[in-house]
Amino acid sequence: MEGDDLALFERSLEHATSNHTGAALDAALDGLGWQEARSADPRAAVSLLFALQGAANVTSSALDQLLAHALGHDQSVVLLPAIGQWSAPGALAGSRLQVHGVGTSSFGARDTCLIVARARESHVAFEVETASLPQRRIEGIDSSLSLVAVTGEVVGGREVGPVDWRSAIALGQLALGHELVGASRRMLELARAHALDRIQFGQPIAKFQAIRHRLAETLVAIEAGDAMLEAAWLDQAPQAAAMAKAVAARGARIAARHCQQVLAGIGFTTEHALHRYVRRVLVLEQLLGGTRDLTRDLGREILEHRQLPALVPL
Amino acid sequence: MELDAFRKSLDDWLDEHGEELAPAYDGAGTLDERMAQLAKVRRLAFDAGWARWGRPGVVGGLGGSTLLRAYLSEAVTARDLVEPGLYSMPEVLGPSVITFARPDLSAEMLPPLLRGDEVWCQGFSEPGTGSNLASLTCRAVRTDPGWRVTGQKVWTSLSQYATRCVLLTRTGSIESAHKGITALFVDMDSPGITIRPIETMDGEKEFSEVFFDDVLVPLDRTLGDEGQGWAFAMDLLPYERSTALWQRAAWLHRRLGDLVETAEPGALDASALGEITQLVYAFRARSRATQHRMAAGEELGAETSIDKVLLATAEQAVFDLAAEALPAEVVIGDDPRSDRWRSEFLYSRAATIYGGSAEIQRNIIARRLLDLGAER
Repeated sequence: MEGDDLALFERSLEHATSNHTGAALDAALDGLGWQEARSADPRAAVSLLFALQGAANVTSSALDQLLAHALGHDQSVVLLPAIGQWSAPGALAGSRLQVHGVGTSSFGARDTCLIVARARESHVAFEVETASLPQRRIEGIDSSLSLVAVTGEVVGGREVGPVDWRSAIALGQLALGHELVGASRRMLELARAHALDRIQFGQPIAKFQAIRHRLAETLVAIEAGDAMLEAAWLDQAPQAAAMAKAVAARGARIAARHCQQVLAGIGFTTEHALHRYVRRVLVLEQLLGGTRDLTRDLGREILEHRQLPALVPL
Repeated sequence: MELDAFRKSLDDWLDEHGEELAPAYDGAGTLDERMAQLAKVRRLAFDAGWARWGRPGVVGGLGGSTLLRAYLSEAVTARDLVEPGLYSMPEVLGPSVITFARPDLSAEMLPPLLRGDEVWCQGFSEPGTGSNLASLTCRAVRTDPGWRVTGQKVWTSLSQYATRCVLLTRTGSIESAHKGITALFVDMDSPGITIRPIETMDGEKEFSEVFFDDVLVPLDRTLGDEGQGWAFAMDLLPYERSTALWQRAAWLHRRLGDLVETAEPGALDASALGEITQLVYAFRARSRATQHRMAAGEELGAETSIDKVLLATAEQAVFDLAAEALPAEVVIGDDPRSDRWRSEFLYSRAATIYGGSAEIQRNIIARRLLDLGAER
């Protein structure tokens, strides 16, 4: 997609994400052809939708669809790794399949769930009846995400063959990275508006350098994440996507900290929108790999090979 | 020539001429040695044609995208043939001189610069004019034979090697601030110029004070018109934060890679290394995007301050990590390799100061990118 097509697509996505959430947003996305766009131009479809979704603080099943498609099982819902992890949620012990993972809001909407388990050096997928899984609705820090904790032994799983887990996870990490950037940009907008409106000592607090520098620092952190995401789309290596997600998530944490401070008292209440973003980015950071683990794993990989990751050529 | 083809043939040429291009010294070398090495690399790259790509025909260039000259700067840095701070001076000064100088002046002056036969310096900062560039006071008075320049510059890199100086002067009243500034192109052998090198804490004499005592500069050496000095400076600063930074990204990547290869097992903490790698790659990704915007003809401006903040953060983080992982080298080592880690560590302390301090960059971001209004 280019030029006018891209702009039109973005406008319709923006309309959908500012007016709908959950199942209604899914229906709107079906209506405007997001799935087709995802096949034709994954980068544009994923980066635009997830950034807007993050900015509007809404939910959809797009992440599920993305992973299910990448794993070659469009009709299933995919069980995500446990909070903080990016390794597959299933573990094989002989013929028994143990599972420790997280389902998203669309978990209950599909009859079959795809559970990926590590098997020697590769990954295999199992199809399981969703209703049969041991599950618990998560309230947690952001109950509007409607996550489901799935932990226990799987009964009656059907092996459906090998899958490319790391590539699928990389795509999901890019999507989450864009959602984090979108949410961070919105937090910055909220804090900026407050800094210009709020009068103290006879002037808007935006005049004070301490405030200005916090907001400038936030923009720098956000742009670093966005630049890494762009490079990761070009690079296509799973390691690049993991790095991009870590940088975007660290940026979101910086944004949350500085914007909360600038918004001060009002930003600490549920009367202001900020808290919803603060909650959301804390959860997004822990999906498909928390920043601490992604960063440490990167360092270990570099030390093991005594070599830095490949560079995207100019 | 397309970038991919350029990259391939340049890489082949660099491989083929590796021995000829390599520096004659170990470690960092002295400033004199590094300047000689820089001149050699520039001459060889110019004579073989590489340094002429990505530059306009009026200055002897072969045309093509600015990405070509950006790749040349990356390639010679990644191979550790030149030091980015020294190499980038023509990259920063060249484009704005081409835009503002009369065409025959740039046609005459640019080729010897690009070939490494000449060095130029940038006379911007003054003792009373650091972050507040518009307050500069180095005076130029228009007379019949030409401009008469009297005043002082400071932090003028490589002026002791320079044959020319791109000089900002005060031609209006002090109150006229940025409106009363004019840019001049000055021969450094003009009578009345005195240079006093400043030794910095990394033991180098890269910077100097430059004194101008009634120095005559011909009127046709004005860059643009009288009073256009601020426009000239604003045109130039984004290059300082784009082309020059892209090369610094290549250098930081190279040095972080050297650190990973040479540090003892256990000397590097995996989490710290992971995070600093992410910082370097994020800075490079940002700088890469800036290079592509420039090549697409976009006008660069305040958003390059983000690149500068990312560089400063990454540069200090890399050498903080090096100082922790290689304490014996940085603190007590006296061999050339240790000297280099130490001087780079010390130099990195200035990353939040040179080219617009960290605070100034954040002021620009707040004012121009976040549109927070004037500070006062």
